[in-house]
Amino acid sequence: MTGLRVALPGGTLFESACDLLNAAGIARLDPARFDRELSVRDGNDVYVKVRPTDVPVYVEMGGCECGIVGKDVLWESSRECYELADLGFGRCRLVLAAPRDSALARGDWPQALRVATKYPVSARRFFAARSLNVVLIRLHGSVELAPLTGLADCVLDITATGRTLAANNLVEIVEAGTSTARLIANHAALKTRNDQVGALAVALRRAVAQRLTAGAA
Amino acid sequence: MTGLDALPPGASVRGRADGFADYLVGPAARRRLLTDRFIETFEAWGYGFMVTPLVEPLDTIAAGVPGARQSALFRFMDSDGAMLALVGERTVSVARVVATQLHEGPFPLRLCYAGSVLRNQAPNAGRRRESLQAGCELIGASGLAADAECIALAAAALERGGVEHIQVDVGHADFIPGLLESAGLDATARDEVLAALARRDLVAVESALAETDAADAERRLLLAFPTLRGGREILDTAAGGLRGARPQRALQELAQLWDLLEAHAITDRVHLDLGAVRDWDYYTGPTFEVFSVDSGFALGSGGRYDTLLSRFGSTCPATGFVLHVDRCHDSIVRRAGTLDPPDVLQVSWETDAQARALELARGLRSRGVAAACDLVAGGDGDVLVSASGARWSVLGHHEHGSVDAALAALGRHLP
Repeated sequence: MTGLRVALPGGTLFESACDLLNAAGIARLDPARFDRELSVRDGNDVYVKVRPTDVPVYVEMGGCECGIVGKDVLWESSRECYELADLGFGRCRLVLAAPRDSALARGDWPQALRVATKYPVSARRFFAARSLNVVLIRLHGSVELAPLTGLADCVLDITATGRTLAANNLVEIVEAGTSTARLIANHAALKTRNDQVGALAVALRRAVAQRLTAGAA
Repeated sequence: MTGLDALPPGASVRGRADGFADYLVGPAARRRLLTDRFIETFEAWGYGFMVTPLVEPLDTIAAGVPGARQSALFRFMDSDGAMLALVGERTVSVARVVATQLHEGPFPLRLCYAGSVLRNQAPNAGRRRESLQAGCELIGASGLAADAECIALAAAALERGGVEHIQVDVGHADFIPGLLESAGLDATARDEVLAALARRDLVAVESALAETDAADAERRLLLAFPTLRGGREILDTAAGGLRGARPQRALQELAQLWDLLEAHAITDRVHLDLGAVRDWDYYTGPTFEVFSVDSGFALGSGGRYDTLLSRFGSTCPATGFVLHVDRCHDSIVRRAGTLDPPDVLQVSWETDAQARALELARGLRSRGVAAACDLVAGGDGDVLVSASGARWSVLGHHEHGSVDAALAALGRHLP
């Protein structure tokens, strides 16, 4: 039988994604191999390492049957994929943060707010639900510099430990969401290759549950 | 090729709008042929071909299409300020026609159509903004036999069009909402679960259910999604422990539908899929989607929509489906690899033999062979008509005699 093609996210989630697939007994992946090869065959399955934002694109368009990607990427993506399982790792939060000495940090919401973010779709949805007068400024990196330079009043950004925020004198105002890695699947693949996709989901869920138990013990 | 630096800034100069496609000679012909095959099949099942406009008043579309789909319409303003939109699907148009012009029947009405639909998708997403859809509507029949006919017809049309290894997933629009109701969830929790299912987020379904006190049997079923699929046997599995009448009724309908599909001899291509539905505010009964392993997208979908016509002032049960011609074409090409363009015989001629060459070309066409005659003498086509007497050279074979003799010779040498 033809194996599955699975898209893995490059970057911070990559090694954890490989670890979980290995722990679940689905694959034996050596993360270092992906430095030399774009796609790695493991048994019948093929794993490709792509940019995290490209994972939903590969999966929706049918380039891969399944993918692993952070929920934060799915918030931003308009791609239609099935979200099959919460894989638990890669936990981070999307928060609104402002300079420590700002009015916002004291709890005073200004009439109009300039927000720098790498997550414009999430930001639009978050602020639309709060009917605030917001000007979004989309940046592609180091958003914490925006308040320091006066470009924006605050940032809506991902934080895992809070260290980067603190180092830039920013404090969290409110949390917009919590993100973890997810298993996603192509719509048609879920139907036409239900056995394979289902088996992958079940194995990964079991591995996640075992980790939780091991962590609690 | 001009480099980027030399190109003027700004969008497509003499270019094409993103998300729209040109179809060149081979693909365009195959796409038309595929549409013809679909329509031929629909007509062979007694469905009459009809045409609806590419443009509808926005109000008309808004009356029939769920809000989320309205946001993807191309809209513009008429000279009197009325808002118009390019159609994003054609079922609403057919419903409008039936409610306003065909409301006296005779029912059941069997109608089919084919045409472009437009969706204002984000550019550069690799998605089509214009696509070709062919569909059927069976109006005025409330029984499951009508639903079974639509499913069997969709499968027959796809197979007639050359789409291989199809799989039909059949579900019921009332099963999940009924299950949520009988699980004792309040309206807020029900909406939360339905919204999560609609955006295919099963992680959110799970966490929404975790916060409720849903009864065990129902919770087990909801969490089993999307594995609630298989043959008729899954209906018994699903029914075990269910107390609510509403989900039970949906399961009973699916059981009857399965028996009808068996009578249509297509259950080898059908799966029952209890979690298949997404548009709960549109569909009211059995629904289905058609897939092929050669495509990452559904090739077709349909279902019962008994409330749509009432929005146009005519209460009438209805069921129907749509096939996505472009996705079907993609799927055929993916399986076949590159397909050759259709064969056209090139007829060349020596000086003074033009009339005889044209006569030969006419004879070829009347026998159904595509032939193009050179416009000037001296080419090296598949057929050469010589001026010295009545001589023909066909694909390297030399023949003498009349046009009829030449055509007979061609018949021997053509594939």
